[in-house]
Amino acid sequence: MAMGREQVLQQVQEVLVDALGVDDDEVTEQATLMGDLGAESIDFLDIVFRLEKAFGIKIPREELFPAETLMNNPEFVNNGKLTERGLAELRDKMPHTDISAFEKDPDINKLGDLFTVGTIVNFVESKLKAA
Amino acid sequence: MGIITICWTMRFILIDRVIELDSGRRLKAVKNVSLAEEYLADHFPTFPVLPGVLLLEGLIESASWLVREHEDFAHSMVLLEQARNVKYKSFLVPGGQIEYTVDAGTIEENVSSFVGAGVSDGEKIVEARFGLRHFNLADKDPAMAAVDAKVIENMKTRWKLLRG
Amino acid sequence: MRWIWIDKFVEFKSGESAVAVKNVTLAEEHLHDHFPGFAVMPECLCIEAMAQTAGILAGEAKNFEQKVILAKIKKAVFFDYVRPGDTLHIHAGIESISNEAASTTGRIMCGDKVIAEIDLMFSHIDQNLAGKHFPEENFVFTDTFKSLLQGSVFSSRRITESGK
Repeated sequence: MAMGREQVLQQVQEVLVDALGVDDDEVTEQATLMGDLGAESIDFLDIVFRLEKAFGIKIPREELFPAETLMNNPEFVNNGKLTERGLAELRDKMPHTDISAFEKDPDINKLGDLFTVGTIVNFVESKLKAA
Repeated sequence: MGIITICWTMRFILIDRVIELDSGRRLKAVKNVSLAEEYLADHFPTFPVLPGVLLLEGLIESASWLVREHEDFAHSMVLLEQARNVKYKSFLVPGGQIEYTVDAGTIEENVSSFVGAGVSDGEKIVEARFGLRHFNLADKDPAMAAVDAKVIENMKTRWKLLRG
Repeated sequence: MRWIWIDKFVEFKSGESAVAVKNVTLAEEHLHDHFPGFAVMPECLCIEAMAQTAGILAGEAKNFEQKVILAKIKKAVFFDYVRPGDTLHIHAGIESISNEAASTTGRIMCGDKVIAEIDLMFSHIDQNLAGKHFPEENFVFTDTFKSLLQGSVFSSRRITESGK
């Protein structure tokens, strides 16, 4: 399925508008899922199902939203910040995201900021190429 | 006469008191949860929590009163037309109290839209976007006007109870 | 009031779809409050009927090993209201299912009339609600719910096998 980035973005926007009940114009590429769009745990699951359906791909939830497994693992988190191992795990799980800014202050409360609409678009694009 | 119904069974009213009213705009209501509420025996026997749909009903009732009060009880029927993105974030257990806040988007003659949330002990329990529709049975069948009148009288009485 | 909003299954395709029946009767106490003077089945209880149909479908698909809890009402749209004497057919289908959650779609019919379209999301809370306290054993699928599948024409072998 050859889909340009614009098309992928449009479909992702539709999915997020439906899943989160937000307006079209709120779903910009830079918008963060948790901060700006109000997404939470159950929404991530809803989003994964809808993306799978919209793009005909399989998405293990962990792959798209690894934050939760990271945050609950004491090897990866120390004193509210991600450890070196945690950062390595994050880099590994989210190759489609630039985490250099986050690395400077790996506060787990800021982990949510990494998940933007753009992150999802990148992820879907990489899945479609691999398919 | 005959307006007050003697009722020895559990009542279907999912808010206990209206605590704040900004007519046509916002309403706040509270509900206490008691282990004596019958459905808790089934939901669930070893872990009683208020069913999610009854949390939604608390929001629906709150919004319905906003409509009824604002339109001066013009309609007997105020029903849920649609609900979207109703999210359940935590459990509400016996002994707890939930405060519902509903904000009206629009209230027109026969339809209205709302955003609502329920909070207990500082924790968000439920949030929803939903719309109601309001009408009289007589709109379709003029012979039903007396029934509309009876329902409206009963709801006016209930409003007095809730408003305190 | 017992918290059971479907009466029996008339169709059950494991992991796929199911149809349940609910008869609405004036013997149901809550109808006399909603509304006093003209009984209408509360829309939130129609949603619960769908939640129980779809929830059992999703639970059975994973052998009743998961605690399947209603986490989100994606959409519930109502086209008509329900009266005592009506028989509802609740059609539910699994749209997606994973270890953590299930997404279902469905509609409620009264004869040929579409009463509602309801899409739900269930969370398998052992996999999801870290930090919230709830019992270890599966408190969701009580004998009351599982008995709906036992003894029906489409009795699931898995109920007796799992023995839960």
